[in-house]
Amino acid sequence: MARSNSLLYLDGVSVSFDGFKALNELSLTIAPGEMRAIIGPNGAGKTTMMDVITGKTRPDSGEVYFNGTVDLTGEDEASIAELGIGRKFQKPTVFESHTVLDNLELALKAPRGPFATLFHVIAQSEKKRLDYLLDLIRLGPKRGELAANLSHGQKQWLEIGMLLAQDPKLLLVDEPAAGMTDAETAETAELLKDIANDHSVVVVEHDMVFVRSLGVKVTVLHEGSVLAEGSLDHVSADERVVEVYLGR
Amino acid sequence: MSLARPILLLFALIAGVLAGPAVAQSDPDTLRPLINELADGKYDQTQKQIEALAATGDPAVAPALEALGEGDLYVRKSDGLVFITKKDGKGYKLTDPLTLETAGEAGRREVSKIKVNNKLRRVIRSALGSLTLRAPDPEVRRQAAEAIFKAQDPDGIEALDAALAAETDVGVRKVMEEARAAAVLNSGMDEAQKLDAVQTLSDMGNRDALSLLLATQASTEGAVRDAAGRAIVKIEKSIAAWDAAQNIWYGLSLGSVLLLAAIGLAITFGVMGVINMAHGEMVMIGAYTTFVVQELIRTSAPGLFDYSLFIALPLAFLVSGAVGVAIERGVIRWLYGRPLETLLATWGISLVLQQAVRSLFGPTNREVGNPDWMSGAFEIGQMTITYNRMWIIVFAMLVFTGLMLVLKKTPFGLYTRAVTQNRRMAASMGIRTPWVDALTFGLGSGIAGIAGVALSQIDNVSPNLGQGYIIDSFMVVVFGGVGNLWGTLVGAMTLGVVNKFLEPYAGAVLGKIFVLVFIILFIQKRPRGLFALKGRAVEA
Amino acid sequence: MMSSFLFRAMDTRAGIFLALMAAVIILVPAGNLLVPEGSPFHVPTYAVTLMGKYLTYALLALAVDLVWGYCGILSLGHAAFFALGGYAMGMYLMRQIGTRGVYGDPILPDFMVFLNWKELPWYWYGFDMFWFAALMVVLVPGLLAFVFGWFAFRSRVTGVYLSIITQALTYALLLAFFRNDMGFGGNNGLTDFKDILGFDIQADTTRAGLFAASGLALVLCFLLCRAITRSKLGKVLVAVRDAESRTRFLGYRVEHYKLFVWTLSAMMAGIAGALYVPQVGIINPGEFAPANSIEVVIWVAVGGRGTLVGAVLGAVLVNFAKTWFTAALPDIWLFALGGLFVVVTLFLPKGIVGTLSQGWSALRQRKVSADYEAGSDEPPAPPQSPSAPAKIHPKPAASRLPADAEAQPAE
Repeated sequence: MARSNSLLYLDGVSVSFDGFKALNELSLTIAPGEMRAIIGPNGAGKTTMMDVITGKTRPDSGEVYFNGTVDLTGEDEASIAELGIGRKFQKPTVFESHTVLDNLELALKAPRGPFATLFHVIAQSEKKRLDYLLDLIRLGPKRGELAANLSHGQKQWLEIGMLLAQDPKLLLVDEPAAGMTDAETAETAELLKDIANDHSVVVVEHDMVFVRSLGVKVTVLHEGSVLAEGSLDHVSADERVVEVYLGR
Repeated sequence: MSLARPILLLFALIAGVLAGPAVAQSDPDTLRPLINELADGKYDQTQKQIEALAATGDPAVAPALEALGEGDLYVRKSDGLVFITKKDGKGYKLTDPLTLETAGEAGRREVSKIKVNNKLRRVIRSALGSLTLRAPDPEVRRQAAEAIFKAQDPDGIEALDAALAAETDVGVRKVMEEARAAAVLNSGMDEAQKLDAVQTLSDMGNRDALSLLLATQASTEGAVRDAAGRAIVKIEKSIAAWDAAQNIWYGLSLGSVLLLAAIGLAITFGVMGVINMAHGEMVMIGAYTTFVVQELIRTSAPGLFDYSLFIALPLAFLVSGAVGVAIERGVIRWLYGRPLETLLATWGISLVLQQAVRSLFGPTNREVGNPDWMSGAFEIGQMTITYNRMWIIVFAMLVFTGLMLVLKKTPFGLYTRAVTQNRRMAASMGIRTPWVDALTFGLGSGIAGIAGVALSQIDNVSPNLGQGYIIDSFMVVVFGGVGNLWGTLVGAMTLGVVNKFLEPYAGAVLGKIFVLVFIILFIQKRPRGLFALKGRAVEA
Repeated sequence: MMSSFLFRAMDTRAGIFLALMAAVIILVPAGNLLVPEGSPFHVPTYAVTLMGKYLTYALLALAVDLVWGYCGILSLGHAAFFALGGYAMGMYLMRQIGTRGVYGDPILPDFMVFLNWKELPWYWYGFDMFWFAALMVVLVPGLLAFVFGWFAFRSRVTGVYLSIITQALTYALLLAFFRNDMGFGGNNGLTDFKDILGFDIQADTTRAGLFAASGLALVLCFLLCRAITRSKLGKVLVAVRDAESRTRFLGYRVEHYKLFVWTLSAMMAGIAGALYVPQVGIINPGEFAPANSIEVVIWVAVGGRGTLVGAVLGAVLVNFAKTWFTAALPDIWLFALGGLFVVVTLFLPKGIVGTLSQGWSALRQRKVSADYEAGSDEPPAPPQSPSAPAKIHPKPAASRLPADAEAQPAE
């Protein structure tokens, strides 16, 4: 796919840490509205790829474009987030000494400057949106609770809620099902599918059952570059993928 | 050039010589008749007598000759003995010309002056010069030549020529040639001679030669002036190089001190991510251990004083190390993962330790002596190197190497490095991380104690000793980067040298401010220091 | 908008604090000026000055708490801003001396005459006017903080590294101000002040006035801090403190937020310094000593960081203890102070106020549970203070501290 009509466009991206190549000529394209699952063994470069897209790590070489025109390698985390890329971390990261509601309020799409927030008064529309999100992530009764007191799964959901509150064009979701029960995992998959209706989503996940339940195109990363791409059935039939996952 | 100065210089020189070992060779019994003869005869005869005295080559006759030249040599009419006299009220004080002991007094009428004229005075001067220039002790000869160099006395040329002909010691010979060159430039000799002299001074190449050449350049013309100009340029270059070398030396010496103070901090910070604000106090405790050891030696075994530092080293390591382990077990281990709290708690500990030492030893500086082998200095080219600085550099390098070996070659080092890189992984590999933490902290503190022994030799031992080093040590660790001892080494040496290079231009205080500002700016560029670990793990 | 901003600052706790402060501001000067000397209610002048000094310390502690308690920036260099504000005020007071100095020079302060300076350095211009000096009191520390912070925060210098370079900053200033050719009186600093705004600086009324001014400044800054910490900006600050990079990924430019509070905090410290100098009558480079900055941090820690009242309380308590100890048992003071650092970090990480309000909400919690068991409809919420969340990494204690111990409902 050409750069111009892509949402996210990575071409020949390489990153190395003290000689270790975390990403090696990685190329990947996400279309607007697409949902993509990314799998790969440990050390395949999944998290580093997220770091590159969100501006945490600068690539040594290669191009990263958002919306076909915006060069992400020149932007920092804050402006990339403002451009409309939201990220959920592998380890659920919420603001533990804030309440659930405050966590969502902080994430809510609004001007991000210090003076804007200093004089910010919460509007009726914002209240409605917060209520909607609280319902969606099923934390309505816990809105006044400190985030620190939530269970692991609830924190994952709160973080997804925060991601939605940002209203990003593209969501990067790192292992959303980690540490969840089977039922929670299934619910999370449903939630993500809902979200994918009006957002582009990139999901990194280990759990094959979860990936299968998403039913989307899968990209397999290995040693910092793309090994295979296609439906889950297609890639699981690929000999190299089997070899990478099972060892030779 | 006035006459008085070279003579005074010579006199001072000779007085110095007499105090030295050369005196032992004098034989008053043979010399005294020669001196007493000075009272006889006319000027012609006196000249011969002077030359005869000079021919003995014995420096002991110098004071008599000196006094003769000054008109202070008198003969006592009653017994014909000759004395150096000094006017004292109405009479004279008599001094024996050979032993220089007082020999009573005499009335104005009882003595008569031995007369000299200008010709004789010249003879005396050259006699004096050649006398010391041919003294048996090479050190005396060297000093005599140096005196002539300083005085630029053209009258010394003859004596120097004579002495040079007989001189066998290469070093002394060189000094004599330089002295001759200096004298030649100040004389009315021809251009060729002077050009040779300029060449000699140019080869000499130090500040003394430079100032002589500058004077020559100002006072002469033609070829000599040009040659002097070229020589000046050459010498200035070499002096600048030596100055730089001296600065580097001072810088390395300061760097070693910083290294000693910071290296323990680097270990604890690198391995445990713990900022130990009480680190300076570990250094202080080491210094006080040295003090206590020296006190015990003074009172019970004074003969061991030269070995006091070797006794203090292991003790300081143990004492500071034990205090360190106690701090780690008692306080720091409860604060892991809370670096800012650790910083505050250890600051509190540092206050307590300072006050404890103040209560025990008093608030004033304590005297820690330098053993003989730590005092004094020697010269290389134009550099002065003091022994205490030199040994501290050597010592710092030894400590660094030793620590490197411990960390690279021992199982403890392996555990420590493992914990530094990945604490959780190390723990799951069966390494007892609390044990490693305690020992690492003890090691870091013990090294600080050792540093204290070294610092006691160059700094005041007071309860505030540690405070003076803590900020500098932090700067070294921050500049060098965490988790890498080489970074600490490079950081310490760089900061030391930069500091010393700035000092001549900016002064010590301003230089230090520049260095601090530089580090503050540097941290912006490389927030994790020169030799930072890179990668994903760092951020976590 | 502005009114809601200020309104936010008020609630019961702020009300209690304000009432207390109002009482202090009125009663102490009144006790000094109106009550006759023999009366048991008379407040001696030295006590007024001493308490005035405590109030300026409290303001400094407030400034440190704003950056440390709420934004997680542990500054070991706030004494620098305090001293700069103090120097700005000191320069004004020096110029007020006029011909009453030892050398009687109408323009040059004594130390300049002594150093044989012929004219006033350019940076002393304007300090004969109070308004200018007052402006510099906030501008100079503010500007230094802005420049320093701009570099440091942009390069993401955080944690202990930042603490150490703030310490280096104040150390560098200490060395600089010791130099005679800096033109700030060198080792001796600025002293021998005569009057301020035309009032004799030694007079009881002036002392009382300075006390009241310090109290007022403290109250105003308290309200400002309160309004800030309870705004959305305050929530962002706490978010930065607890999870800086997460905040960044939400689109907040963390460095701007840090720069904002950092600069504001420096300005407050400058005001504190400016009020401190006329009351103690001297400012010298010793105020820049790194040890001073660290001491401020312990005031905040004792009172309870992340609570504004705690910072004020801690500053007053510790300094009262210091005054008492150094008079009664001078040798013990450093042991006590050092011990305080250790004890507070180990056993009282939330400080006095934090611990008290935690205990209070735990009590309330128990009451709610009891009501519930007795048949109330309200389900009990889990206790406010979480037992450490199951985590592999030990989290900094800061993240386990509630920002302000009470719950903050959204407007």
